[in-house]
Amino acid sequence: MDLEGRNTAEFASPPAGSLASGRPARFVYPSGARPLAGYTIKRGIGQGGFGEIYFALSDSGKEVALKLIRRNLDVELRGIRHCLNLNHPNLLSLYDIRQDDRGDTWVVMEYVAGESLEEALRSHADGLPGEVAVAWFHGIAAAVAYLHSRGIVHRDLKPGNIFSSEGVVKVGDYGLSKFLSCSRRSGHTESVGTVHYMAPEVANGRYGKEIDIYALGIILYELLTGRVPFDGESVGEVLMKHLTALPDLAPLAEPYRSVIAKALEKDPEKRYRSVDLMLAALPSPNRMPPGSGRLPSGGFSAGNDSGARPPQPVTAVAVDEEPIWLAVRDGVARLHHTWQAANLSTPVRVVLILVGLFVLLTNVVPLMPIVIGLLAVYGAYRLIRSLVLSSTPPRDRGLPPAVAPPPELEAMLHGAAPTPPARPIARHSSRRAGHRESEQAVAAPVVKSPRERVADLLASMLGSVLVVGVTCLVLALLHSFHAETMRLEQAAWLLTVGLAGTWAVLIPSKLWEGTDGEPILRRFAMMVIGLVVGLFAFHTGQFLLVHLAPAAGFPMPPAYELPSGFYGADGRPLLMAYLAAFGTFFVVIRWWRQADPLRPARLRFWPVILCVLVAGFVAGLWRFPQAWLPMVAAIMAIAVQLSSPWISRHERRRLEGHRAGQVH
Amino acid sequence: MSSRHGEKFMLWIDGVGGYSVCMADAVVLGQPSGKNGVAVPILGNLSGRHARIRRDGEAYLIEAMHRTYVHGEAVNRIAPLDDGSIITLGDSVQLRFWRPHVLSATARLDFVSRHRTEPGVDAVLLMAHSCLLGPKPNSHVVCEAWTDELVLYRHGYELYCRCRSRATFEVDGLECRRHARVGRGMRIAGDQFAVAIE
Repeated sequence: MDLEGRNTAEFASPPAGSLASGRPARFVYPSGARPLAGYTIKRGIGQGGFGEIYFALSDSGKEVALKLIRRNLDVELRGIRHCLNLNHPNLLSLYDIRQDDRGDTWVVMEYVAGESLEEALRSHADGLPGEVAVAWFHGIAAAVAYLHSRGIVHRDLKPGNIFSSEGVVKVGDYGLSKFLSCSRRSGHTESVGTVHYMAPEVANGRYGKEIDIYALGIILYELLTGRVPFDGESVGEVLMKHLTALPDLAPLAEPYRSVIAKALEKDPEKRYRSVDLMLAALPSPNRMPPGSGRLPSGGFSAGNDSGARPPQPVTAVAVDEEPIWLAVRDGVARLHHTWQAANLSTPVRVVLILVGLFVLLTNVVPLMPIVIGLLAVYGAYRLIRSLVLSSTPPRDRGLPPAVAPPPELEAMLHGAAPTPPARPIARHSSRRAGHRESEQAVAAPVVKSPRERVADLLASMLGSVLVVGVTCLVLALLHSFHAETMRLEQAAWLLTVGLAGTWAVLIPSKLWEGTDGEPILRRFAMMVIGLVVGLFAFHTGQFLLVHLAPAAGFPMPPAYELPSGFYGADGRPLLMAYLAAFGTFFVVIRWWRQADPLRPARLRFWPVILCVLVAGFVAGLWRFPQAWLPMVAAIMAIAVQLSSPWISRHERRRLEGHRAGQVH
Repeated sequence: MSSRHGEKFMLWIDGVGGYSVCMADAVVLGQPSGKNGVAVPILGNLSGRHARIRRDGEAYLIEAMHRTYVHGEAVNRIAPLDDGSIITLGDSVQLRFWRPHVLSATARLDFVSRHRTEPGVDAVLLMAHSCLLGPKPNSHVVCEAWTDELVLYRHGYELYCRCRSRATFEVDGLECRRHARVGRGMRIAGDQFAVAIE
């Protein structure tokens, strides 16, 4: 048996990317060999960039995995030594580091009989079933969070390094990773399997824990879809995509879409700052609906029972979104992706864009009415849909019911990963995830006593006076740009009506704050308030003897007759016109959302624009003198948002943590 | 009686796994407690000799010595086993019995529950006449990365092997052209594979 000869031959030509390419390769040591005293090798398990891994039995029968390190530089060994006494249920245990008679270094470590995540993914080409994927991910993330808490960056997270042992997720190959990344940078082909999970900044030699977050994002993507977001023919192509391409998130549902988007940010500063924050944005496994997919209990059965495909994971957490809008957005995303992925040079792209623009411009006349018609129909549909849908309380829709997890999952997560802080945060953020759930979100952290509310309200109302005044002034200046200078009584009317409108929003919003009211009732109430504001606006106008002159240059809707009670002989709007315009304007917009203390930002631009546009549309509809209602709308939107209280993200987390602390 | 020397061996396949191969027509499943020497020793809450699986020509039967179920139904004394039968021993040990290849009477036992044999193996093979190792899904041991198939076959308790493609291979370092007799302690190695018999 010429073991010696074969050894040198193997060492001279290391099997290039044997694991990655899936090609089998021969192992240095045959079954029965005892290179390391006390252990008998039974079979080779696999080969990686660092060396070979064997399954071996100790003399007393303990099953271990032996990892042969080919190039044992002190630096790398120090990395492993740091990890030798780490202890976490989701980490593959390292038992010892030993040297054999030939001077080779062996790492003695836990042997896992179960399948690796790579194998699990291979038998599920379209991704793992939802709860199984989430269970895997939570196990992996728990291990990475632990490593980070010990100041260690894994650096080589990939499905081939992740295993399931009796249902418990085990992450391996930590500590060796520094070695790996060095070998990759020196141009070895051995790390082909690694580049799919490699963060862009690694190219600059930056190895912070953000690269683990990035790899977690890729792994989550692969768990859900069965494929990596950046793939290519060559290492260079994949690296280039990591650096430049955007991941195709179209097949993913929320909250996965936004979580993965954030984890895969090119700029490490924009990613999640910790694994816990990333986990908090995901559904915790025991909130998932019960499904047929459990983590396979046997190590090897997975490959054989692929006949019955469990439901798609990506749809597991359904988010209530308007289907047409969703389709359009997906279409645009796909188009964008194709454009990004298309192998076109810059001049070709420019020419394509120019041709597209030309075609668009030459056809603008026949296309315009069609587009406007479609938009109008869609707008009406959207309005009716939102009215119909909002009459069902949100609690019944967005979130799946909380159910007891299957025992295997329980074992995987709780026996395995005792991370209690993850759950309260997760509850909070999954609530934040759906757009519509924001109403519910108001509930918990901001419940206040009536006294506090009144104090809040008074503060908001006083604050709004200032904001309304300033906004009025700005609008008056802008107005004088467009038409003649605003007259004093007109400005006074604008100020009074704007302030009245703002208060008319602030008061009921404060009343509704923190409750789960039925939106349809709220809309009705808002309409009544709108009518009152309209009445007030009319009488103010009478009192101030104001003439609301219609500004020129606004598109007028096609002429149609309104009843004569609406407008006086000189075109001056009468009470009916005021009531109609203000009532409609108040019923269409969900004003209480702009006063919600948990809105995404204190002052958001788009709601203001939307309010102004809606007001313009409503005014056109009722032939109310143009630009006055939009001006009121702008004042109200800005004043409501600026003057009502807002809880920052940071503050929310603190409140949430505080509350969770009280509960437990 | 079922663990006579030569009836059972281990197959260690590099990059694939470890398999216990039983050649006897009847194997006993039970606790690994040394004296009685069961062919399939399972670390589980079982009796010393819990059940026996018997090959009868092309068919397999299971004889219950203690509480045994097939597809959830209690086995009174004896019950047939088909491809895909789920065997439950006692309260919790679950195995799947299957016959990957239609033309071979060789069967395979995999754990469904999280139990293991002692020593641990990836599966138990009940070898009739031949045993296929290769990349095809109907192999008795699926070796995904291989391109060739290795056939183990027997005359009595003597074991032979050959490559499907008639390619040459080595047995303990000696080149073999068509087929070779193999036995315990030998290593079969091809271009892409290495299998040890123990």
